[in-house]
Amino acid sequence: MGLDYQLVLWSKYKKSYDKIIVLGMLLYIIIFAGVTLIFNTETSVETMIIRAFGSLAIIMLHIILVIGPLARLNTAFLPILFNRRHLGVSMFMAALIHGGFSVFQFHALGDINPIYSIFTSNMEYGSLSNFPFQVLGFLALLILFVMASTSHDFFLGNLSAKVWKRLHMLVYVVYVLIIAHVFLGAFQQETSLFTIGLLVIGFFIVASLHLITAFKESKIDGVKAKGKDGWLKVCSVSEIEDDRAKIFTVQNERVAIFKYDGKLSAIHNVCKHQGGPLGEGKVIDGCITCPWHGYQYLPINGQSPPPFTEKVATYELKIE
Amino acid sequence: MTFGQRKAHKYIWLTLAIAIPAIMIFATKDLNILPSKKIGKSNDLVTNKIALKIFENDIVKVSLFENQMEVILKATLKNSSSVIYEMNIAGEKSNTLGQLSTAGIYKFNIKNLPTGIIISDDLKMEESTKFLF
Repeated sequence: MGLDYQLVLWSKYKKSYDKIIVLGMLLYIIIFAGVTLIFNTETSVETMIIRAFGSLAIIMLHIILVIGPLARLNTAFLPILFNRRHLGVSMFMAALIHGGFSVFQFHALGDINPIYSIFTSNMEYGSLSNFPFQVLGFLALLILFVMASTSHDFFLGNLSAKVWKRLHMLVYVVYVLIIAHVFLGAFQQETSLFTIGLLVIGFFIVASLHLITAFKESKIDGVKAKGKDGWLKVCSVSEIEDDRAKIFTVQNERVAIFKYDGKLSAIHNVCKHQGGPLGEGKVIDGCITCPWHGYQYLPINGQSPPPFTEKVATYELKIE
Repeated sequence: MTFGQRKAHKYIWLTLAIAIPAIMIFATKDLNILPSKKIGKSNDLVTNKIALKIFENDIVKVSLFENQMEVILKATLKNSSSVIYEMNIAGEKSNTLGQLSTAGIYKFNIKNLPTGIIISDDLKMEESTKFLF
């Protein structure tokens, strides 16, 4: 949480995660190149780069897609969630190299505008086996560009969390486009049971984790507190740990009741930054601290400590 | 996440859980998943016919039949835009037969028995192979 926008708000942990991302990407490219040189000597350097960065981007996209549900299912994954945006931008860079080399190799050497050529060089839009799959990859790359370029907190703050979240949920459209791009493209030209199997397993893992998480959350949403005289009975005070919260569903929205310094406060469970679950955070230095990115709020009024201006809704409590 | 966002995520993934497998099935149903089986199957067909001429090198095996030329491309060519041509008696390209891409069996209709064939990438101006029957 910073008052001024900086290009990257570096911390010791962020630097460590970024080093892991860069080293992981380099290692994959080196291994891919080595395996290609040994087993597929006919492959040109351009083709090797296209395939290496394309497959790398797909692997990274799968990792990005499982981080969210994993962090909901197990808090041990929260540190990875904290750095997910850097992974997303790195994935876009890999996809850009793949797309850039592909456009250059297949569309830039003629006398037609390369972008126009992507859409018109193959017009068999009605065919499955000869579908112009590069169009799908190009559209995915465009969406990734918009997402990567608006990933900074500056855009999050200016677009509003709601709009920003909707924009970044386009990653699911990207996933569909990329799956179709690979299945209608690469596999039509060079069918490999191994790579088809990997993508099918990848999809199964990603979809299963998202659906398990979604149904778990739906179950929690379904638990309603009992009402009496306009008040909802939620729990006894002793059930809440010190500096922690218990979360309850009130009219479909979640409310977190925190206990701190012998006092109680009820606030809306959704962080104003990226919608993190405040009730899963704890009170640090007198402030409720979001477990996702460390945004802080005063428990008494839901206001971020000055000079910050974010505020979450608070609710009245009654002890009987 | 708000209740609306949780609900949206749930319905998006329920939709994707149906849509993506459908894409995968439709895209792969016509594919020959096992390339070796594909070649073997076609080789059986070749043995049923008597080739008039056969030529083989590291890149291709070409069998000439009365009205057809069968080309078995042994490995995917380095040049993605390779075209196979009939060769005339002067050793130059004459009729264009078609395009070669990945390893597999290609069949081209021919009117007359060609003198030879040339496989080349005209974009890069590179010849992959050239031979006389």
